[in-house]
Amino acid sequence: MSAPLFRPAGPQTLLPPEVTAPKRARTRRAENWTHDLKITIPLGLLILIAGACFLWPLVYPVPKPTGGSILDAGLPPFSPGHLFGTDAVGNDIFSRILYGGRVSFEVGVSVTAIGLVIGGLFGVIAGYLGGITDAVISRVLDVLIAFPALVLALAIAEGLGPSELHVIWALSFFGIPAVGRVARAATLALREQTFMLAARLAGTPRWRVVLRHILPNIMPQLMTFSLLGIGVIIILEGALSYLGLGIPPPNPSWGSMIANGQQTLSSQPELVLIPSAFLFVTVLSLNLLGDALRERWGVR
Amino acid sequence: MTAEAGVRPGARTQFARRAVGSPGVRVAGRRLLAVIPVLWGVTFLTFIVMNMLPGDAAQELLGANATPAEVHQLEIQLHLNEPFWVRYGNWFGGLLKGDLGTSLSGGQPVTTILGQRLPVTAELLLYAFVASVVFAVGLAVLAARRPNGIGDRISMAVSMMGLSIAPYVLAPVLVYLFAIKVGWFPAIGYTPLTQNPVENIKSLTLPAASIGFPLFAVYTRLLRADIVEQMQREDYIVTARAKGVPPWRILIRHALRNSLFGLITLVGLNFGTLIGAVAIIEPIFSLPGVGAILIESINNRDLPVVEGIVVIFAVITVAANLLADLLYVALDPRIRYERAAV
Repeated sequence: MSAPLFRPAGPQTLLPPEVTAPKRARTRRAENWTHDLKITIPLGLLILIAGACFLWPLVYPVPKPTGGSILDAGLPPFSPGHLFGTDAVGNDIFSRILYGGRVSFEVGVSVTAIGLVIGGLFGVIAGYLGGITDAVISRVLDVLIAFPALVLALAIAEGLGPSELHVIWALSFFGIPAVGRVARAATLALREQTFMLAARLAGTPRWRVVLRHILPNIMPQLMTFSLLGIGVIIILEGALSYLGLGIPPPNPSWGSMIANGQQTLSSQPELVLIPSAFLFVTVLSLNLLGDALRERWGVR
Repeated sequence: MTAEAGVRPGARTQFARRAVGSPGVRVAGRRLLAVIPVLWGVTFLTFIVMNMLPGDAAQELLGANATPAEVHQLEIQLHLNEPFWVRYGNWFGGLLKGDLGTSLSGGQPVTTILGQRLPVTAELLLYAFVASVVFAVGLAVLAARRPNGIGDRISMAVSMMGLSIAPYVLAPVLVYLFAIKVGWFPAIGYTPLTQNPVENIKSLTLPAASIGFPLFAVYTRLLRADIVEQMQREDYIVTARAKGVPPWRILIRHALRNSLFGLITLVGLNFGTLIGAVAIIEPIFSLPGVGAILIESINNRDLPVVEGIVVIFAVITVAANLLADLLYVALDPRIRYERAAV
């Protein structure tokens, strides 16, 4: 992924200098993404939350997320040694948030990566080759999309038993067709472009057209879609864990924390509100970042 | 309801021929043909997935203490010992006759179970959809009136929140605020419409809000973007402005009307995908709908019930999509002629 990828060669190269973009302060600043608050704030929040989840337990000791003492049960937030308090069986909430967040990020990123590679591949093939290949791949994607994702994920998680890896497999059935459709549509839109015709006239081999002409051009669209996708997957992972089919029970996940907290909603609402807030802020940041990048890269 | 209906009311046979050959019917026909393999694929995939699960309904019904002989006996009784293809064939043959089989755990016909539970789910979904569309249209119009103005920014912030919140996050928060703290709505339970309409609406408000708020957010953003684009790009808006049509009228009668297509399509697409949200939300509020038994049925390996629910939602999705497509064709002459030419 080289730099000009996201800055399409515009009229600058063709027009005389006086017609090219006037060097106003606003455009100059917009060139540099680090000055764009719409990008830096959600990105910063994401780095903060993900960094805390993955690094904090390594750097600074936190209580174990499981096996807490019943003597510590139900401590309110800001108790000594327990920043967010403890849950009904005495586990430290802060530690559970950190370890649960790891699960969310790991599942979200891996499912999206699997979706990008497999779904992207099939989408590009369908869009580029067209004809019967396209028809077959599109129908399969249609079935997978029409198939209620949660039912499939539930069934897989039920069948294979709850574990993080199984959740990733199950949710991939959701990610692959979604990315596949976007990749196919984006490829179709490219097919009529002049440079594709030029490549064909020049006798460029198909694999090279895909690698050098299609992939770079659909990348911005797939990347922004993936950012939004990570958010959706994190929500779905939470849903599975919420139903007790995600991460095996004593281990924390934001979804299962919300589910467990509901039993004491009236007496200890923070058990629900804290993981809810983390889930919300994480997904919100991903959405904001995806939106900002979409605007910047001019993706519709 | 195509425009052709009003063109020549005189010749009846000609009208019939035109109706059959009309773009709307042709689009619908082509759509239906394309949809049949998808529907079949969904039922088949459900069968495969449910069969891959370890254990079967007999084992689940009898519990872990049952002897293998007892389990085998019940398997024969429930026809679970027959080969996969035979069972799928029997089920599919029944489906074609409108028979969805009987529940393995309760012995009731699946159509009876669905008949009891589907109205609750349908009411919940309808409530969520109507509320989200009404609020979305209102807010989108307010926002699009002055892009980047204060109203626009607030509506974008609200809808961004809606996009980022999961129904199972929203539900307990709403229960905490509006049922426990304020006590406006019941936290759980369902009152049938025939028993007490006011309580019925009240009992469905929080669940409908949990499902509807994320939808509302998506609709608002889509509709706002469409209206803004119409207002900025389209010549007919300039013409209307030049004629001196009041701004509100331009916004609602011209821009909004022409922006509704995207919303219609999306609503159609959404309708069937909400099975997951329903499956999570209904148990939270103890609503006796189909979502509440879906998870239970998967756990019990009650294949006919799971298949019945999946089929119903797949058919609803297809029907809603088709309706959206037809509305599209009926409302926009450009699409009508474009597709007719293909």
